Amino acid sequence: MPNGASRSPAAVWAILRKECRSEWRTRYGLNAALLFAVTTLVAVSFGAGRLGDRVDVLSALLWIVLLFATLASLSHAFVREVEGQTLSMLRRVASPTEIAIGKLLFNLLFLGVLEIVTVPLFLILMGAPSPRWGTFLALLALGSVALAASSTLIGGLIAQTRGRGALFAGVSFPVLLPVLAAAVSGTRAQWQQLPAGGELRLLAAYGAALMAASLLLYDHLWEE
Amino acid sequence: MILRGLLLVWIAICIVLAFVWAPLVPVLESTTRVLYFHIPSAWVTVLALGWSMVASLLYLRTRNMAFDDHAATAAELGLLFCICATVSGAVWAKAMWGAYWNWDPRETSIFFLLLIYVAYMALRSAIDEPVRRARLSAIYSAIAFVSVPFLMFVVPRIYFSLHPDPLINTRGKVDMDPRIRIIFYGMLLGFTALFFWLLRLRVRLLRVERRRAEAAPALEEARA
Repeated sequence: MPNGASRSPAAVWAILRKECRSEWRTRYGLNAALLFAVTTLVAVSFGAGRLGDRVDVLSALLWIVLLFATLASLSHAFVREVEGQTLSMLRRVASPTEIAIGKLLFNLLFLGVLEIVTVPLFLILMGAPSPRWGTFLALLALGSVALAASSTLIGGLIAQTRGRGALFAGVSFPVLLPVLAAAVSGTRAQWQQLPAGGELRLLAAYGAALMAASLLLYDHLWEE
Repeated sequence: MILRGLLLVWIAICIVLAFVWAPLVPVLESTTRVLYFHIPSAWVTVLALGWSMVASLLYLRTRNMAFDDHAATAAELGLLFCICATVSGAVWAKAMWGAYWNWDPRETSIFFLLLIYVAYMALRSAIDEPVRRARLSAIYSAIAFVSVPFLMFVVPRIYFSLHPDPLINTRGKVDMDPRIRIIFYGMLLGFTALFFWLLRLRVRLLRVERRRAEAAPALEEARA
């Protein structure tokens, strides 16, 4: 039975630092994700032109770009360990929960960097009207937490299956759909000068529920 | 055997009564009758996903393969009933709203449920080893269930929907015609019993298959 429920902040911090360092050495994951996001963005912008007055389309496109960039990159954290055969080494020094929390924090950081590049570029390229920054940033933050929470856990599952990459998008999509729906309608509401409180609460509640369920399930990710 | 016969008679009586005894709701007219089929299907869908989640958690706790059989079977049956609810809803929507599908919040949420089950099946099919498959799909089933209360109860309350609970059931206050209510609850009971009967059959079948697979080497030896 898994008995690694112990969670030491030091071990989580060590995992996070290790993730950042190995990512920084190659910058493979980040480069791939950024290229992917920028490619999607340019394709959308080129194909649809400037859509300054169509905020309903804009909010949908923004979240589709972010969702695709997430799906393309966040399973990477676990798949890399499996492909490099470094997972058993990692598991000697930390419990499954510590590893997963470290990876979750890394994924959050990763999404943050991705959004710092993608979102301003999106607003400029698509000719979007200026958002209400408070609501907009809160939607982005809460959406990212929910995206990172579910894709970390599902990335951990997918890394142990056949055909890892192909399956990840299909399997994590249903879990991410409520996030996508709430984030899109909240983003649209803030552009239309409507209240977005319901969507913010929905995103916060769903993110918290995903996070809590993940913390309970992380211990079962690997067999002893 | 007797119970199975009783179930058949029970559902048959309910269907006949729905046509000859129950009155029609003013706006819905003859499409009222879909509710004896559509709502029980939707209810069994939620019940099945819940059953699958509980069985999955029990599997993670006890590592008894019988719970994995329950989880997998409940998800299969849930998919079946979810398709029934979606199709009957779409046919009703064609009659009332003039289109089979228009992304009403209710349609969206049932479609998401459908995707969750399909993804669960895709995940199961991607793992060969039974014990690993049981563990990983149990984790997925538990995390997928987090979205169910949001999809079924929160989203339809936040967004405007044309779905006719207000015509039949206003704000939780049941003001159905007593005859409609009797048949409706009768069908609900019938569908629930149908679900458990199918569940039991399929779980027994899976158990027999596993025993045979375990006994196969010994049989080969005995034959030789």
